[in-house]
Amino acid sequence: MRDVVKGLLDQKLNASFSRRRFLQGSAALTAVTVLGSPRSASAAELGGPLNYFGWDGEHGANVAKTFLDDNGIQLQASFQVSGDEALTRFNTGGRGTIDLMTPNKDFQRAILESGTELFAPLDMSRIPNAAGLFPAFKDASWLTKGGQTYGIPLIWGDEPCVYNPDKWDGVPPKYTDFADPKYKGELVMTDDPFGNIWVFAKSIGAEDPSKLTADQLQAAIDALLSVKPNIVTIAASFADMADVMVRGDASMGLAGWAYQTQIAKEKGVTLVVGTPAVDGTYYWEDAYAIALDAPNPDNAYAFIDFMTSAEANAAIATELGSGCTVEAAMPLMPAELTSIYPYDIVRQADGGLLGTQVVFPPQEADADIVPASAWVEAWQAFKLS
Amino acid sequence: MTTPSLGVRLDGRRLRLGAAARPLLPAGAYYAVFFAIPMASLFVLSFWRAKGFDLVPDVSLVNYEKIATSPLYHALLVRTVAIGLITSLIVVPIAFTLSYLMRFVFERWAQLILQLALISLFSGYLVRIYAWRTILGKQGLLNSTLEWLGIIDQPLEFLIYSNFATIITLTGLLIPLAVLPIYSSMANISRDHLEVARDLGSKRTHLVRTILVPMALPGIRTAFAFSFLLAAGDFVTPSLVGGTQGIMIGNVIADQFRGIGSNWPLGGALAFVTMALVLVIYFAVIRAIRWVTTW
Repeated sequence: MRDVVKGLLDQKLNASFSRRRFLQGSAALTAVTVLGSPRSASAAELGGPLNYFGWDGEHGANVAKTFLDDNGIQLQASFQVSGDEALTRFNTGGRGTIDLMTPNKDFQRAILESGTELFAPLDMSRIPNAAGLFPAFKDASWLTKGGQTYGIPLIWGDEPCVYNPDKWDGVPPKYTDFADPKYKGELVMTDDPFGNIWVFAKSIGAEDPSKLTADQLQAAIDALLSVKPNIVTIAASFADMADVMVRGDASMGLAGWAYQTQIAKEKGVTLVVGTPAVDGTYYWEDAYAIALDAPNPDNAYAFIDFMTSAEANAAIATELGSGCTVEAAMPLMPAELTSIYPYDIVRQADGGLLGTQVVFPPQEADADIVPASAWVEAWQAFKLS
Repeated sequence: MTTPSLGVRLDGRRLRLGAAARPLLPAGAYYAVFFAIPMASLFVLSFWRAKGFDLVPDVSLVNYEKIATSPLYHALLVRTVAIGLITSLIVVPIAFTLSYLMRFVFERWAQLILQLALISLFSGYLVRIYAWRTILGKQGLLNSTLEWLGIIDQPLEFLIYSNFATIITLTGLLIPLAVLPIYSSMANISRDHLEVARDLGSKRTHLVRTILVPMALPGIRTAFAFSFLLAAGDFVTPSLVGGTQGIMIGNVIADQFRGIGSNWPLGGALAFVTMALVLVIYFAVIRAIRWVTTW
């Protein structure tokens, strides 16, 4: 869901924004800096490179700086622009060169279910801090297979509507309600085929919006087309969507990111979040995973364990404006950030909707269920219409 | 006796050619490694197939067949070429006029104007697009000024998030790139040529068509190449200012290389079809310019 748009976001506004925040001394970073980083118990075995291939920002270069320096670890980070790029890199000569990745929930689930080689099973005894994860993230279904765990959640969030409260009192109960002419010239959405088709498929009553037939897909696109006359622009990223609203070019963002309210606040604009009462929203999560045949597994384990400490988890979640995954991290975060995410669901053992919801369509056609490529093509046709 | 002497001559020429080519080796190697080999790889990939998360080596025309039979891709290619052509047909005349003014009218200020054009290139590409958004936005500089002057009551919404915005923004981004080669070509045109033509009764349009344009043709060709190829290949500008129809073939190609549902072989095929199409149009336009100037 966030794959298509997150690359631009991280490369552009979010990266610079978060680093500036960090350098200015955000509360979370200050906590880490003041406390210092615990030298790893197995420090003698550490040192040398740690090859990261994942989302920009989630490599934690700022948060883990002291830890890395203390342990002589050189973080060599390169960044993906899509959720499945790690697999491409892995299969095109990258095997044996990558240590650490940050797959999202749906991608990790798809890889584990398909039996595709990419993630190494984790030795949980080497990540003691994982005991502090919220219940939803312990042995989560998308992270485990055959009794083994393949990922340690780092951050999570949802995708509510984000709007200007000066213009709107709230959001309508269904996404299809945005076809009302009163929204003309006021809507903005991101260039995300999966998230947008998913919510509109749900809105028109698809039982499992991630598994659509060709007719259901077309019906979802038709529903989107009924809203299109009201849409100002299809933003390139979440940050771009926030920018459109901050400039006053639109006042209602569909399937946005709660962190957009923070971006807007820094620019003196008030935005609030709201979720259509009937249709609801969906949830995402990114985790650290170790690649099969990782060349520096000791460094990777120590890094993951450090980043799963309460202080580091609070710092990275704050830096990226997301939900924290470690229970003890929550009190260390700014209240205005923790208040925008529904933490009640991650306190449930199965993660509630976070655990059961699948947004990404299947990669391959399955009987009359169309594959992800059909969604992408339908979305392109929607944009061209 | 004849044959050996010929051989010596040929060898000598080969030696001279070899010596002359030697300085090209670094650039040639660079292009081989970073352009020719990746392009060749992409071309080979365009005949493969995507299966789930895997790439399947094949010698299949399925991706090209899909492009040939898909109304979606046809519409996108037409749209892309149209935006590229319209943009370049605005950019090149403006750049030509600017270059003419710099070379023959405001010669004293030419270097300053040129430096200003260059300075604009120092700012980031995205920054410049966002600057255009600031100018063209609903509450942007242009709308605010027009409202302040009482010319309009409501913001002109077509200024932003539209094809108009895409073309205007691309024009703004590409003019400095087009000015440089045209001005460089014009710098070699002597005033004497123009004065002689005028003395012989040449009118302004005739003078431009038969003297200025032919003599500046190398620069015009480069400027057209820059503006047309870059505009047709862009996908960031339409994404940021093109609104709900901010899609060009570049966006679709990019989609094929990222994310769930990506299809690298189809992306490769789309890239080569697009490249072939824009090159055909590029050569056709250059030929047309040449024809007009000799007609």
